[in-house]
Amino acid sequence: MALRDPREECLDLEERGQQQLERLQSVLNRAFKNVPFYRNRFQEFSVDQSRIERLEDLATVPFTERVHFSENYPYGLFAVPLRDVVRIHTAPGIYLQPTVSGYTKHDLVVWRELVARSLVAAGLSSVDILQIDLDAGLANWGREYKDGAELIEASVIPLTLLHPEKQLMILRDYRTSTLVTTASAARQLVQGMYRSSLNPNALALKTLILVGEPPDDSVRAQLEEQLHVKTWVHYGLSDVPGPALAFECEVRNGLHVSEDHFFAEVIDSTSGVPVPEGEEGELVLTTLTTRAFPLIRFRTGDRVRLIPGSCPCGRTLRRIHWLHQRTDELMVIRGVKVHQRHALMVMERVLGFVPERQQFFIRRSGMRDYLEIWLQVEERLFSDEIKQMEKVAQRLGMELEQELGVTVRMRFKEAGSFEFSRLEPIRDE
Amino acid sequence: MLRLRNLKCYYGRIRAINGVTLSVRPGEMVALIGANGAGKSTLLQAVCGLVPHWDGEIRFEKQSLKHFKPQNIVQKGVSLVPEGRLLFPPMSVLENLKLGAYLRYRRREHAAIAEDLESVLTLFPVLRERVKQAAGTLSGGEQQMLAIGRALMARPRLLLLDEPSMGLAPFLVQLILDVLVQLRTRGMTILLVEQNARAALQIADRGYVLENGSVVLEGAAGDLLADQDVKRAYLGKDYREFDEGRG
Repeated sequence: MALRDPREECLDLEERGQQQLERLQSVLNRAFKNVPFYRNRFQEFSVDQSRIERLEDLATVPFTERVHFSENYPYGLFAVPLRDVVRIHTAPGIYLQPTVSGYTKHDLVVWRELVARSLVAAGLSSVDILQIDLDAGLANWGREYKDGAELIEASVIPLTLLHPEKQLMILRDYRTSTLVTTASAARQLVQGMYRSSLNPNALALKTLILVGEPPDDSVRAQLEEQLHVKTWVHYGLSDVPGPALAFECEVRNGLHVSEDHFFAEVIDSTSGVPVPEGEEGELVLTTLTTRAFPLIRFRTGDRVRLIPGSCPCGRTLRRIHWLHQRTDELMVIRGVKVHQRHALMVMERVLGFVPERQQFFIRRSGMRDYLEIWLQVEERLFSDEIKQMEKVAQRLGMELEQELGVTVRMRFKEAGSFEFSRLEPIRDE
Repeated sequence: MLRLRNLKCYYGRIRAINGVTLSVRPGEMVALIGANGAGKSTLLQAVCGLVPHWDGEIRFEKQSLKHFKPQNIVQKGVSLVPEGRLLFPPMSVLENLKLGAYLRYRRREHAAIAEDLESVLTLFPVLRERVKQAAGTLSGGEQQMLAIGRALMARPRLLLLDEPSMGLAPFLVQLILDVLVQLRTRGMTILLVEQNARAALQIADRGYVLENGSVVLEGAAGDLLADQDVKRAYLGKDYREFDEGRG
């Protein structure tokens, strides 16, 4: 059993409760004192943070949602003076303003440790060669995985945006033993291997760490068989504050949440009330140790179930089952979160108006997922020159790709040729 | 070993401690830092049963200290080295030390007391030289040593110290801190309140920062020592505006 920090990971449950309460009260006091947004929210909801005397009392504190990141763009949620911030991350937001998060020196140390902890749980050590293959939208995670892997002295091939064939060449020639990627990208890799008639035995790959999206059991089994590897799943937040805040151990029955740094709640996404342990709901996270960018009751939109009972691995960190469905309108494409509202705002910027009818599709070309958007041709979009319309579609596609960090294809559809009625994206099966 | 949950202390209508949760594990040295009036001394006094009105929970070795008198708390293994030492000036060094073991005489622990006296005099050789001298005639540093020695005579498992470096010359501060490190190495659990935050964090394992009766930061002592907020507020760096130097 590989443990990076046995004391923290296996802390006695009573001590864990004490540690979490101490840290929770301290982060609430700090947020109230240093972040006007939280101070106003607490006052608006008549919350006296000094009355949070048990972990359960946190349920009286208002939620933080993605919309608050946009409303407080860029630095409104920072809890330390800007000069204490040593790294500033940007991720697509749900409006045109991106989500901005900051890290102090101490925060970076914590994240490095968290990533190292999750990599060690997957059996990684200094003899491993770790390759990171993530889309541009997950570039922040690429940096965190590099830092965490370097901490355990593995050899790291950092994230570089390369054509899949090049990634495959590096994977083979550099004798990569561990690959951090999304399930979609891994499937694409397998397809590339078949195309180039590469036998998995020619690879040194033994560990595949899947991030960004919860993979199906069938997909995992398929990847393990096709690549001759063992797969591990890590859960993180791609917008804030980072990857690997929950990870699988060798038992592979759920993901351990790093509860020394996060307090996890599962709520009914409609009522906002915590659900009984073991029931499905939306994951809500509160950071316990983050200095620059504390998050109080952040609604992740991810659907999970807390697993009751202890894990045979010996860790006392509670486990979650990460489920497929989301509780919000976010689409997850190759691990990158995309909001329809954000896409519409980009379209408005390019076209000068919001198209009346549109439908979002999450498509798969071969093994690659991408976003396809159908727009109903309306008078303002119409041109009698096909070339002109193609130009508009191309420009829209390019702008959307740049903003959202995923591959986008645009299609114009005549009125009446399609029933544009569904709000949810249609996903190819 | 020591566990506080939602401690609130009152002086009349004034709430000096506003819901503090903290813990000290066996063998650990924990520093409590903060400005004047933050509530540090009140917290130590509450642990020792010297604050009449408090709410919340104070547990020492899993047992609640609610309704215990100060002498009973000392008997349980908690000793306080108070701010300003509070020695008995006309009494000799030896008498002051023996008073530290007052409750143990009733239990007829004479041999053990003699053993501890020897141990204290070995820890502070200067006290052995002045064993018959009146405590009031000692220098500030020697008085602090005597105050610590007196607390040790109760054979505590948890030692609480309130501003042990106050009013001492730098070389004496270092001497006192060295003694604390020695005690910790021998397995003593220590909760240290200090305005000299740098000195305290340099020798402690963990620390809590108290502001207006609430904990605003906690963590490994090394992390707190490097924290910019702590540096500005307690380690002598001037406070500057939010985005100074960053346009």
